[in-house]
This record gives sequence, structure tokens and C-alpha cells, in this order.
Amino acid sequence: MAAEFEPQIVGFLCRWCSYPGADLAGTSRIHYSPSLRIIRVPCSGRADPLLVLKAFQDGADGVMVLGCHPADCHYVEGNYHARRRYALMHRLLEYMGIEKDRLLVEWVSAAEGGRFAQMTTEFTNQVKELGPRGGI
Amino acid sequence: MIEQIRDKARELLEGKQVSCFIGYEQGTRGKARPAFIYAPQEVERLVWDEGCAHNLTTYLHQFKNPVKRGEPPPRVGIMVKPCDARSLNVLFHEKQLDRARVYIVGLTCGGMKDDGQLLARCQRCSERVPVVYDLLVGEKPGTVGQEDYADVAEMEGMSPRERLAFWAREFERCIRCYACRQACPACYCFECVAEQLDPPWMGIAIDLPQKQFFHVMRAYHLAGRCAGCNACEEACPMEIPLSLLNRKIAKEVEALFGYKTGQDAITPPPLATFKKEEEVPL
Repeated sequence: MAAEFEPQIVGFLCRWCSYPGADLAGTSRIHYSPSLRIIRVPCSGRADPLLVLKAFQDGADGVMVLGCHPADCHYVEGNYHARRRYALMHRLLEYMGIEKDRLLVEWVSAAEGGRFAQMTTEFTNQVKELGPRGGI
Repeated sequence: MIEQIRDKARELLEGKQVSCFIGYEQGTRGKARPAFIYAPQEVERLVWDEGCAHNLTTYLHQFKNPVKRGEPPPRVGIMVKPCDARSLNVLFHEKQLDRARVYIVGLTCGGMKDDGQLLARCQRCSERVPVVYDLLVGEKPGTVGQEDYADVAEMEGMSPRERLAFWAREFERCIRCYACRQACPACYCFECVAEQLDPPWMGIAIDLPQKQFFHVMRAYHLAGRCAGCNACEEACPMEIPLSLLNRKIAKEVEALFGYKTGQDAITPPPLATFKKEEEVPL
């Protein structure tokens, strides 16, 4: 029996909201997908879309970018910039042949541990269904 | 028309108002090529015809620095078509050029031709008069094209797998000469991501993922800044359809943010700004 496909998912999590959110999921002992490799970034505005592209280039099956909810950014406006950038990057990646469902951009606050766990698991299943990715 | 351009160039050079006039001249193989005129008696070399497809604003970057320390940078005269004028506005907005240091001879344009055939981008072009100029030469041509993104829509109709295969086929040919980057007036970084070694964004191998990374990166960095002059595609020795990529972004930028590149030198490009209350579909 062939081993089940386990996707490699890279998550860029904002240091102020989403990373503590993931932390909360952990300390609350909520189970979430082990496929996720979390990279902590100072702000979702720091998660340069090129980092996402680089993750895909290096073989990631899915990428998550999580930041503070709009109006909650520690740096006041980082997530507004991220919102615009990813709106465009999402469409560009899809155009390049990377399925839309392989990139998730969402807002997770530090209090939303449960939501983070649920989101991660759902996203992992979504990527699992798409299967391994070929090419960039 | 050409006499008017030559007279102006002569006047500017004789009056020492500009140190160089950038225009077109007849190349050795019959096609127009960029010309750099430094002396008034050389203005006879200037030509203006339907083969003058190059975007000359790329060369303005070479005139950004003073010739001698302490002096202001040299003033330059330049011939621009409507598409080139849009890239000028991008450079003005990004403070790469001082408007006062450029004398712009705007050319009304009925489209450029190659072997008697109107270029694809000129068929789609709806601008026939430059958006910025000091002197406008020529009459406004009657016919204008319309950008309908038909080829982009065709690509969008494919499945992701088909698109992936399509781009793999196109980028497989890329030899990473970076001519697309060099020809682009908006690609002026001293150190490009493509050559940055720390962090090493991109490998230096002739390897498909790396080539794709380069092309997506290049197109993305030009999001909302690409004036659609198509200099990149025309410079590409491997005939990779880069306009398909650039125009997809232009289309999305227009749909998402209602922004068209280079219409003025004041409005910031969409990725340099934001609105708090806007709805951006992610």
C-alpha cells in the first residue's frame, strides 16, 4: 500500500498575532496538522511575496500567510500592504499554473488558537486533495 | 515631422540646453536604432518612422549622475512615443528623474510596424498622443485600438495544469541573458534580486524552477509599474511571450485597484499604497 501523500506546507506567521495564535493552539493542546512548517516573520507585510514564490520553487505544496486582522497591525499598516500584494500574487500564481487553493492568506489574531488549528487542518486537507505539485 | 524634430534637437544642442539628444537613426541593416546626438551638426542623423519601436527612456538612467562631481546631472532631450511617455511618468513618480532635466519631444504615433505589419501591442494601443511632453510633433492619428486582453483571457480559460505546462514550455527556452530586464525602463535597481547572493533568492543554474522564479519575480516587481511598452518581449532572443505575463498583471491591477500605469506622475502605484476601507478579494 502506497504511503499517503503528506504535503509540505510552509506558513509565514506574523510575530504579533498569528504566531501567538499558533502558540495558543499549542498551549491549549489543540491538535492541528503536522504538515505545517511555521516561519515566524515580524509582520505579514514582511512576508514578501517572493518568499512565497521561493517556497514554491523549493518544493512546498502549499503556503500559508497569516497576519493580524486589518486595523490590528502592530506596525499600523503592514497587513494593508500585504493584503494588496497577495491579492495580486494570488492571481499571478494561479496564472502561472499553481492552483489557487495552494496559497492561503488569512487574518488570525492571538486569541484565535482554535481557529488557527481548524484553518491549518482544513488547508492541509485541501492541499492533500490537490496532490503533489509539479513545477513552480 | 522629422524636420521639426531635427530643428528642435539642433536648437537645444546649440543653446546648450541639453547635453545629449536621444532619438532614432537609420541602422546598418535598414531598421531604426537608438541614436545619441551630442553635437548640433549631427542632428541630420535623426529619423522617425514606423520602425522606431524601442523605448528610449531606458537610456535616461545613464544620465542620472553628474558628469563631474558637484555639477547637476546633464539635461537630456528625448523622443518619446505614447507608450514611452507612460514609463517616463513612472520614473518621474519614483524620483528617478527630475522632470526639469528632461526635454521631451512627444510624438503622435499611429503604431509601429515590423515588415509592414502593425505590431500586436500597437494594434491594442488606445493612446496615440503622449501623456507628457514639452513639444508635441505630428497630428493625432484617427484610428485607435482597444485593449481587450483576448490572449490573456484565453490563457485564463486553461486548467492550471495546462498553464503550468505552457509556461514550462516557454520558460524552458530562457537562456537567462536578462535582456528583458536590461531593456526595461522600470528595472533600474543597482542590485537585482536575480543577482543578489545574500540572501540567495535565486540559483544561478539554467534550471526551470529558477528561470520561472526569475520571470515571475520580474513581472511581479513591475506590477502597476509596467507601462506596456513591450521592450522586454522585443528584446528577448528566445521569443518568450512576456507580454502575456505583464498584461495579465496590468489587467488584474486595473480590475482590483482601478489603476492604469503612467497616466500621471503623482498617483502612487497600487502596491505602494493602500486604502484602509477597501475590499480586496484575497
